[in-house]
Amino acid sequence: MKKKLYIIPLFLTLFSFVVIYLSLQLETSPEMIVGDSMQARSFPIFLMVINLMLVGILSLQFYKTYPKEVELEKFPTWSSMLLFLIFYILVKVSGDMFVAIPIVMFLMGLTWGQKKVWISLVNAIATPLSVFLLFDYVLQVRFPRGWLTNIYYG
Amino acid sequence: MIEALSAMGSVFTDPYLLGLIFATTVLGVIIGVLPGLGATTGAALLLPFTLTMEPVQAIAVLSTIYVSATFAGSITAILINTPGTSAAAATTFDGYPLAQKGEAGRALGIAVVSSTVGGVFSVIVLCIAAPLLARVAYEFRPPEYFALTIFGLSMLASISAGGAVKNLIGGIFGVWLSTIGAERVTAIERFMFGNYDLYEGLSFVPVFIGLFAISELLVQSKMVNKIVETVALKAVKLPTKEDYKRIWKTILRSCGIGTFIGVLPAEGATVASMIGYSEAKRWSKNKEEFGKGSVEGIAGAEAANNAATGGAMVPTMVLGIPGSGTTAIILVGLMVHGLRPGAYLFTEQVEKVYQIFGSMLLANLMFMAMGLYAARLFARVSLVPISILWPIVFALSVIGAYALSQSLIDVWIALIFGVIGFFARRHGFAVAPIAVGLILGEMVETNLQHSLKMYDGQWWMIFAQPLAAFFLILAFLGLCGPYLYSLIIRHKD
Repeated sequence: MKKKLYIIPLFLTLFSFVVIYLSLQLETSPEMIVGDSMQARSFPIFLMVINLMLVGILSLQFYKTYPKEVELEKFPTWSSMLLFLIFYILVKVSGDMFVAIPIVMFLMGLTWGQKKVWISLVNAIATPLSVFLLFDYVLQVRFPRGWLTNIYYG
Repeated sequence: MIEALSAMGSVFTDPYLLGLIFATTVLGVIIGVLPGLGATTGAALLLPFTLTMEPVQAIAVLSTIYVSATFAGSITAILINTPGTSAAAATTFDGYPLAQKGEAGRALGIAVVSSTVGGVFSVIVLCIAAPLLARVAYEFRPPEYFALTIFGLSMLASISAGGAVKNLIGGIFGVWLSTIGAERVTAIERFMFGNYDLYEGLSFVPVFIGLFAISELLVQSKMVNKIVETVALKAVKLPTKEDYKRIWKTILRSCGIGTFIGVLPAEGATVASMIGYSEAKRWSKNKEEFGKGSVEGIAGAEAANNAATGGAMVPTMVLGIPGSGTTAIILVGLMVHGLRPGAYLFTEQVEKVYQIFGSMLLANLMFMAMGLYAARLFARVSLVPISILWPIVFALSVIGAYALSQSLIDVWIALIFGVIGFFARRHGFAVAPIAVGLILGEMVETNLQHSLKMYDGQWWMIFAQPLAAFFLILAFLGLCGPYLYSLIIRHKD
């Protein structure tokens, strides 16, 4: 078996055992509440047992035929995930989604091949602004207060 | 009946709803022609925008996106050999070759007419079949619902993307996700790790936005350096008499196929279009033309994929079992707006139900007009650079995920499920089974619990209920039938 072949079944098997272990740690309810039904832990364990059986079949299938891998442009994909992380940090630091969204949108545009910086910049400012105004005026959704929203909300 | 017809008719006379459906059809066609976006992603992104709307308006928006985006996928399939939605993949087989011969307008005309006939046919079937099925569903008790959801989950095996086993694993993962939070009967906290934002369980909307929109964003990154070649289009032409003579039987056959496949839980427009196409080829007198620009091939695929949209709404509205990823989102839309899917919807909210059907009918007619007169314009939309489009999708995703509960945890959930969905898809797992599993998960567990209580813990009594046994046998045949059949054939040989 090639190296990559067993990674998916191994991961899924590990996941199933972790869920079973966590399920076994769950409290049990008194008989008078559960009655003839099942404990809270039973259903997840039942699911993971089925999952393990399916993973067994999947392993056999992988052994017979090598699955095709989806080809990727690595840089924009990984950089986008990194931008998600940057988005999380920016929201945590500023407390404001509308500081983080334009920055991430601008950087995403550039990493995805936009050569004209001003286009990325306009897109990064105009889109969140219009969506914010739509949600605020029409849908009356209040966003978390932060650096920019504090100025707007007063 | 008169009440139902008048409710449907009211859609055509309500200026606000007319305007809303028109605007949504334009948006749906734009979403459909943008490669990668599609009906499911579009519906996931638009769901938060419907929060303050009336229930009928909200579901009309979502279902209009569904039908118009499903059709619009054919525009780019024909003009740039890139299906806007997976349901239009079969349209590329003959649509693009016909366009290369300089007959792009004819190919689009056939696609528009076939899609409209398919869509209208399926809405008519929906209007007739849904109330009838609702009457049967009145008899359903927990064992029947449990068996039905098991049947629904078993049908995940045949969703087009991924493989049977991978789809089932995805479905199981989705069902497991539904167990996160406090268990309904005992209130025991499961897999929350002390995070009380998860007490009520995972919210569907952020999970769906993550699985469909954000994971698609990551998948689309492979298109960064792709160069698109377009075929010139002068005008869209209606099919000629000669064309109609050749395709009417194909359209009718595909209408039936598409609607039937749409009705099956967890099946959808993609499967329908593939079968519609292959059946068109099987019954055609001009098989040699297939793959080289056959009008029957285009009609077969397009009539089937749009016919599946109405069909898929039947189990969604009557049984609460989604027929596809997009109907899973529509189902969430129903729940968010206080419309409880199921048999009672057809007695307690009958007017609203028929208004929703009416809006689907209207959307089908509107996209026909747009397809005929504005396809050239819409095709240009597909050339929007992805470096502009996908940052916008990112912004809509995170704001949309926040909007429903106005909680930042939902934004993090959407991003996490975006990454999970991306890795799943990278390794050949489709994300629709996870979404369907998440929706059906609670139904499976709750109905199993109720069934066990009904029969004093004797689980085998579920099999003694005729209707429940019927669905479980269907599920078994759906899962094992192909293998048993191949074993029998091998044994005979």
